[in-house]
Amino acid sequence: MTSINRRTLIKLAGAAAIGAVAYPLVRNEFGSTATPVAPGSLGSLNVGYLPITDSAPLLVAHANGDYTKNGFNVETPVQFPAWPALTEAFLAGQVDVVHLLMPLALNLKFGKNQDIKIVSWNHTNGSALTVSNEINSIADLAGKTIAIPLEFSLHNVVLQQVLRANNLVAIFDGEPSVAESTVKLVNLPPAEMPAALAGKSISGFIVAEPFNALVETKGIGKILRFTGDVWKEHACCVTVVRGELVNDSPEIAQGLVNSVASAQLSISNDRNAAAKSLANGYLPQGEEAISRALTEYGSEYDAIIKNPDWNSERISFQPYAFPSYTEELVNQLKVTKFSQGADINWIKSLDPKSAHSQVVAEGLALTAIESLGGLGKFNLPSDLTRTEVISA
Amino acid sequence: MKFEKLSKTITTISAVVIWWVLTEVVAGDSPIISEMGPVDAFRKVAEYWGTGYLAQSVLVSLYRLLVGLAISFVIGVGLGILFGTKPLVERSTSVIVQYLRMTSPLAWAPIAVILLGIGSMPVIALIVLAATWPIALSTANGVRNVSKEWIKVSQTLGATKQETLRHVVAPAISSHVLTGVRLALGVSWIVIVPAEMLGVDSGLGFMVLNARDQLSYDGLAAAMFIIGLVGYFLDLGAQNLFKKVSKAF
Repeated sequence: MTSINRRTLIKLAGAAAIGAVAYPLVRNEFGSTATPVAPGSLGSLNVGYLPITDSAPLLVAHANGDYTKNGFNVETPVQFPAWPALTEAFLAGQVDVVHLLMPLALNLKFGKNQDIKIVSWNHTNGSALTVSNEINSIADLAGKTIAIPLEFSLHNVVLQQVLRANNLVAIFDGEPSVAESTVKLVNLPPAEMPAALAGKSISGFIVAEPFNALVETKGIGKILRFTGDVWKEHACCVTVVRGELVNDSPEIAQGLVNSVASAQLSISNDRNAAAKSLANGYLPQGEEAISRALTEYGSEYDAIIKNPDWNSERISFQPYAFPSYTEELVNQLKVTKFSQGADINWIKSLDPKSAHSQVVAEGLALTAIESLGGLGKFNLPSDLTRTEVISA
Repeated sequence: MKFEKLSKTITTISAVVIWWVLTEVVAGDSPIISEMGPVDAFRKVAEYWGTGYLAQSVLVSLYRLLVGLAISFVIGVGLGILFGTKPLVERSTSVIVQYLRMTSPLAWAPIAVILLGIGSMPVIALIVLAATWPIALSTANGVRNVSKEWIKVSQTLGATKQETLRHVVAPAISSHVLTGVRLALGVSWIVIVPAEMLGVDSGLGFMVLNARDQLSYDGLAAAMFIIGLVGYFLDLGAQNLFKKVSKAF
């Protein structure tokens, strides 16, 4: 057990006593709406994030005081520079709550046998393939180098779907060539991608917002394809905690998901206010790019959005994890190429049907949705089923 | 000598045992550190050797190192002779030289990547930034310390300027230059690893980065082990080479 967990426990023990006294008072004051919990009664949570809009629910929950309302003490979330650093801090117990690329979360669970749980989806869509200005079609990518945030990312999966559909071959080693229709994929931390594109060392990147919007506003490049236009309402980042938190303290896990869902609702209701909050000390890219990433999916993209009938948003927010998505993601990972050194035996042996219930803490999101006004508020179908639609 | 060899062996084995205890016992609970023990690392080294990844990474890093050092040698010795023979030049540029020397090459990394792109060029440039100064300063020091008497003697004996340089100055400064090169080698080996983490897709620094991207912490331990091992043999090789060169003069 790490020192942070021990500290949390001690705080919890103390807080339990206070909470026992405070709980009836709070309840009287607020009546029976929402879940009344005394501030701090559920102890402290440390939140870690990457500077991308995928982290928005975790950050807006802090800005709006949702954590406090749900009984947590949460210090200002800690920003990390790249996925490995965030993952390592999470595994080492330095942070308790993180958003992770869903394939990375699956890798931790099934590849590295780590006891982790996905407690909610963070958002859907919210990523794009951005290229330098002289590239006008996917076919132009032959012989070029494109950056992905990590091999274990939805971005790698979706980019390869698009490349395959255009008869291009993804490679990780060697030089890409027009003659062989190869496109080289390289890992880059999201924050380094715009500079690499500006410096011409890559021809494009596929990554979360607001880096695509940032490149647009700076005129360095342009969006060639939205990932949410390839895979309808796909999840990208998911909220992840260590399994012991879900097993030993379900009330903490529930409080956390309530906070996240409440923040998601608030972002959906007022995207410009959310952009203002996020630009205020959480995300470094500035309000213009963040606001654009949260709102702009209109007629200026008529030429590149191939499925306007999906009526998608550039990014959407809802907590429920669809089992059909996990299943299809595992299937897609099986046909995705990885570099030579990557350990992908777990992907080969993973059963698409049973993966979901093993890695997702089911029920938390639905309870949160219920307490916030029901499925309709999050634009979720009443039977909670959907068909995965991929149109590369 | 025999005792020295024995004690070397014992301390080396002890270090590996301590490595094992720290990773497998003390930090046995940590999901990351517990994968970084000697057994995991050596298994991964063998795997990397088998796939050719190890040889390729080491060779690419050594290539960048040697090209960087060669360029640094030419620039460094040139600057050193200039500084050593022209005190006015040295004094007037000292602010700039010390300033550049103290600006970490890694702070230059973004500029190197933007100007030179992905690949070996930015790494070589960063090595040149790191390695030139030790050679230049050490050479300048050597040139200043060439005895005026020797030069006078050689001139009295009718030596031309070139002959003086070849037979008097070169032998006198060679040990200083070599010291500078050895220092530069050490600095370069330290700089190359982080330099290869930026906009590069091969080499030992990339091996570290790649292992982390793959969540392969045994791979990370293997990369660290190899970086140390290659660095050790580089220094050993440099020492032996310099002994031979010193004797030749």
